[in-house]
Amino acid sequence: MYKFKIVYLPEFLEYLQEKYTLWAPAKSGTETEFKVISSFAEIDQSRLNTTLNPKEIFFPRREVLFSYDENGIKTPPPPEKPVAVWGLRTCDTRSIRMLDEVFSNAHQMPEKEMFKDPYWINKYADSLLISQACRQPLSTCFCNWFNSGPFDETGSDIFVIKGEVNYYLKGISDKGQEVLAGFAKAEQTDEKDAAEIKDLQAAAESYMSPALDISDLKSKLDKIWDDPLWEEIGAKCINCGACAYICPTCHCFDVSDEGKAGKGKRVRLWDACMFQLFTKEASGHNPRSNSLNRVRQRVMHKYNYFVDNYQKFLCTGCGRCVSVCPVNMDIREIIKKILAHEI
Amino acid sequence: MCNTYLPFPMKVERIITENPDRTLRTFDLSFINEEDREKFIYMPGQFCEFSILGKGESPFGIASSPTEEGILKFTVSRTGSVTREIHYLQEGDIVGIRGPLGNWYPEQLMQNEDVVIIGGGFAFTTLRSMIVYMLAHRERYGKITVIYGARTPEYFIFKEELETWDARDDITLHLTIDKPYPGWEKLVGFVPTVTGEVNLDPKALVLVCGPPVMIKYTLPVLTKIGFKDEKIFTSLERRMKCGIGKCGRCGIGSKYICIDGPVFSLAELNKIPEAF
Repeated sequence: MYKFKIVYLPEFLEYLQEKYTLWAPAKSGTETEFKVISSFAEIDQSRLNTTLNPKEIFFPRREVLFSYDENGIKTPPPPEKPVAVWGLRTCDTRSIRMLDEVFSNAHQMPEKEMFKDPYWINKYADSLLISQACRQPLSTCFCNWFNSGPFDETGSDIFVIKGEVNYYLKGISDKGQEVLAGFAKAEQTDEKDAAEIKDLQAAAESYMSPALDISDLKSKLDKIWDDPLWEEIGAKCINCGACAYICPTCHCFDVSDEGKAGKGKRVRLWDACMFQLFTKEASGHNPRSNSLNRVRQRVMHKYNYFVDNYQKFLCTGCGRCVSVCPVNMDIREIIKKILAHEI
Repeated sequence: MCNTYLPFPMKVERIITENPDRTLRTFDLSFINEEDREKFIYMPGQFCEFSILGKGESPFGIASSPTEEGILKFTVSRTGSVTREIHYLQEGDIVGIRGPLGNWYPEQLMQNEDVVIIGGGFAFTTLRSMIVYMLAHRERYGKITVIYGARTPEYFIFKEELETWDARDDITLHLTIDKPYPGWEKLVGFVPTVTGEVNLDPKALVLVCGPPVMIKYTLPVLTKIGFKDEKIFTSLERRMKCGIGKCGRCGIGSKYICIDGPVFSLAELNKIPEAF
């Protein structure tokens, strides 16, 4: 494990920028989101979770698939440099890894070249994901329900812990190791550092509420598709879609043309199963016409259908949906209700 | 890297207006690039995303058969904004096509079996593809029986072809309309009713495609006759956008219609919530 003094962070980030396009949390109005950073001063590390999620980095809310004019179709050029992300939390990193399974490998069918999403793959290729330990998790955090925690290194290329005077950095992947080994200011940690890290981790974990055992959640959901429980769960939902918008794992999108017949662009835009128009057909027929069906779809996709296809929940417990919901729906309460429901 | 989001160009060769109120049109498209033609290997039951740049994209089942080389056929009902623009196309215009997408009718299982095909309205497109394919390889299959229903005689699509098939002795055609109509001498009655009345042999394999309400009422009739769920196949539709299992619009349970379907056996559908 390596360390460098906190004051050397700008230098470390500049070092990363030699090879990478650097993304990090930054102010966006009153909120924070991941942005391409040109100088250290733009970074805002005051919040634990960014308001908007990091899927934007590899799956922008509006993305040009191609432009067209009288000369034909042109795809956007691939990025010049690979992406490095500073300031991710483990929940964010794990969500990016999940989306990668979807976009580069639908339903775990790696042999199907035509199912690969080149727009995701071009940006994701050779990326460096640096996640940071959460020293003081929020009351909305529930990553520990998913075998994770504030000091979980899973999925990171580099895992960072902020100490009192040092950043401690652990190379998890080979790529991460190499990057750290090449930074002149990085030193090896000693026993005193290890003790500080251990204390920080114990403190962080004590902030977390106890984890809920959700091992029965999938099998429970398999049995309650047409249970009246959904009326109770979904009654409050106003289908605003905010939860899906800020969710780091929601990835549904729309494809739409912008422009005229002779010149324009085909774009994809984030969309959500919360909206009535998501499934509405031109004939007027709508397979998911009422709000309850849509709430059920979102819960089922995350905690049941995705498990069928990818053997994991499509949720990392980041808690953004809990903080953003305008009618105070709390996904944790929904899960508890489902688990407690007698069939 | 393969990019399935990019359409390739095709030329509108022929437009046929299928019904008197001009809401149904069939478009024969030809490949412009030889390379696209060679790559386009498909089977009856698959679909394409059909687009006009600047106007948008919609999914349609392929109505032509792979045995009809060099062309692709789509029948489009004028319903929303994209289909309206498709109806404005003229012969010679260029359109964008992505595909072939999805799975296909279980042709291998159909070999050496009797086959029953049940269709309704303008959803007859991929069934037409299957029938043309079977007639081109007639020796592979047992008895072929077709039940096809439309509102009135004018609403059948591929009318000339239906007449040719009717004249053949290696395919049995039961055409039916909803209500009596002057001059109509064939069957009258809804598809589910007719299905129960034409003495189908439950050993056959069945393909059903039509409006949801037709499928809903036909399936129990088939079960009552004695068809096994594993031998009944139907094709589902949703508002598919990407066609490669990403955009999430065609999810039914843990399946995506665009990559796991559109063709499913009733045995599979019984396990999927939200299928109908």
